[in-house]
Amino acid sequence: MDNQFIFKYSWEILPKRWVKKMERSEHGNRSDTNTDYPFQLLCFLKLHTYTRVQVSIDICGVDYPSRKRRFEVVYNLLSTRYNSRIRVQTSADEVTRISPVVSPFPSAGRWEREVWDMFGVSSINHPDLRRISTDYGFEGHPLRKDLPLSGYVEVRYDDPEKRVVSEPIEMTQEFRYFDFASPWEQRSDG
Amino acid sequence: MIPSTTRKDLMIVNMGPHHPSMHGVLRLIVTLDGEDVIDCEPILGYLHRGMEKIAENRTIIQYLPYVTRWDYLATMFTEAITVNGPEQLGNIQVPQRASYIRAIMLELSRIASHLLWLGPFMADIGAQTPFFYIFRERELIYDLFEAATGMRMMHNYFRIGGVAADLPHGWIDKCLDFCDYFLTGVAEYQKLITRNPIFLERVEGVGFIGAEEALNWGLSGPMLRASGIQWDLRKVDRYECYDEFDWEVQWQKEGDSLARYLVRISEMTESIKIIQQALEGIPGGPYENLEIRRFDRIKNPEWNDFQYRFISKKPSPTFELSKQELYVRVEAPKGELGIFMIGDQSVFPWRWKIRPPGFINLQILPQLVKRMKLADIMTILGSIDIIMGEVDR
Repeated sequence: MDNQFIFKYSWEILPKRWVKKMERSEHGNRSDTNTDYPFQLLCFLKLHTYTRVQVSIDICGVDYPSRKRRFEVVYNLLSTRYNSRIRVQTSADEVTRISPVVSPFPSAGRWEREVWDMFGVSSINHPDLRRISTDYGFEGHPLRKDLPLSGYVEVRYDDPEKRVVSEPIEMTQEFRYFDFASPWEQRSDG
Repeated sequence: MIPSTTRKDLMIVNMGPHHPSMHGVLRLIVTLDGEDVIDCEPILGYLHRGMEKIAENRTIIQYLPYVTRWDYLATMFTEAITVNGPEQLGNIQVPQRASYIRAIMLELSRIASHLLWLGPFMADIGAQTPFFYIFRERELIYDLFEAATGMRMMHNYFRIGGVAADLPHGWIDKCLDFCDYFLTGVAEYQKLITRNPIFLERVEGVGFIGAEEALNWGLSGPMLRASGIQWDLRKVDRYECYDEFDWEVQWQKEGDSLARYLVRISEMTESIKIIQQALEGIPGGPYENLEIRRFDRIKNPEWNDFQYRFISKKPSPTFELSKQELYVRVEAPKGELGIFMIGDQSVFPWRWKIRPPGFINLQILPQLVKRMKLADIMTILGSIDIIMGEVDR
């Protein structure tokens, strides 16, 4: 449905230092790169005549706790001129800092804030790096796999103190994990 | 922040999370110099519900009721994209009839969303009447949805491989009647609003976005099309059965709020055209690809045996996502709604990233309101058409 043009072209043109691996599948093309290079790679993709990737659709983070560099930052990009999409992925661990891509793609500002807020992967020289979706005093990075779904604190309005307080969470029912193929079985081992 | 050279004290006003226009809970911290806006900073996160983390712990069919809560005005799009992802991952064919039903529902949802954009937009500008008129038409759409899906707003209708239930008898005629009535409704809005001098004073020339700038900021949907770029995912990606209908992409060149208004109004008329063509051409056949439902990890559980035939339920349609990544997208009324999903070889996805159009479209707001008057903020905010359910997820 979208053509493979910029993918094939960039595979031939890009210096091999920048791109570790390029992979092509029917569900979208991806290219893997090192942490030092996403800024250069994205600037190239944006400005070069034959790849003109002007729209940064999405920047997201993924957590693979079993890997050494556990986070992966994925940049989804779109070229409206060539009707092509391409995905650039970088891996990072908790302390690596990535270069922000805000100057070629101004829309990336909020995405990088969200990656910082949800995962803890920060950017060097980001113009405005602070939390975006979580609560004002929230500690931790929610979308990491080690933070449980219910979180650690719950909030309630405390009448004597006349404000909202956070307290450690108290669950009256144990967490039920619904993973069944047949409605009769709670946990299936098949 | 650009400090003013003449005045020393700038006023910082908090247009707080609760405000009367129905955009939701958005907090704007506006720095004013008299009536001119120096800077505006939106603060999000008041409606953050952790949709992405919940998605990692639910199967697709369990997650479907959650997705309508992202964009609660155009609910069919969120459901469509949730089922389109696994369908593309598993190469599941959708029957023709289901595809047509989906297209009809999506276009009705688009009309509903544009209507509920129009009402609050006009109410922000000062015209109270259209706010009530749109609910007339929206109630008719709700009635159609309730007849087909069972719920007025948060229908749990789409399934992997089709839709949940077929259209009831007589629905098609009712829908055709609605289309005829709605064309007169749109004509009424045009007469009331489009050449109204007060409206034009408020809206023309306000919030101009050029084509290059629109692409740089990653805008999509009517905001991009109002700046002169004819980019519509229904034509570009050719998903569902939109190829078989005869319709045009609506676009304008000016790039101001008036152009965005005109694009959305003409999109409503275009949607009616698509619905009429779909209703006339709807084929018979199955409404769901029932092969998928037979997915069972245990091959022959005893509960499906003959003696349990009256108490056995239908097997739950759990669908195993293969270990692939996919970015699936749909042209929602607000822009490009996308899901980036990474499957793990299990029933739960590993990562479910929602790309909401409102989140991106809202980024351009601080840029646009510099040098504008305070009253123009609401015009621009209204013309961007955001909904906080999807911005915050």
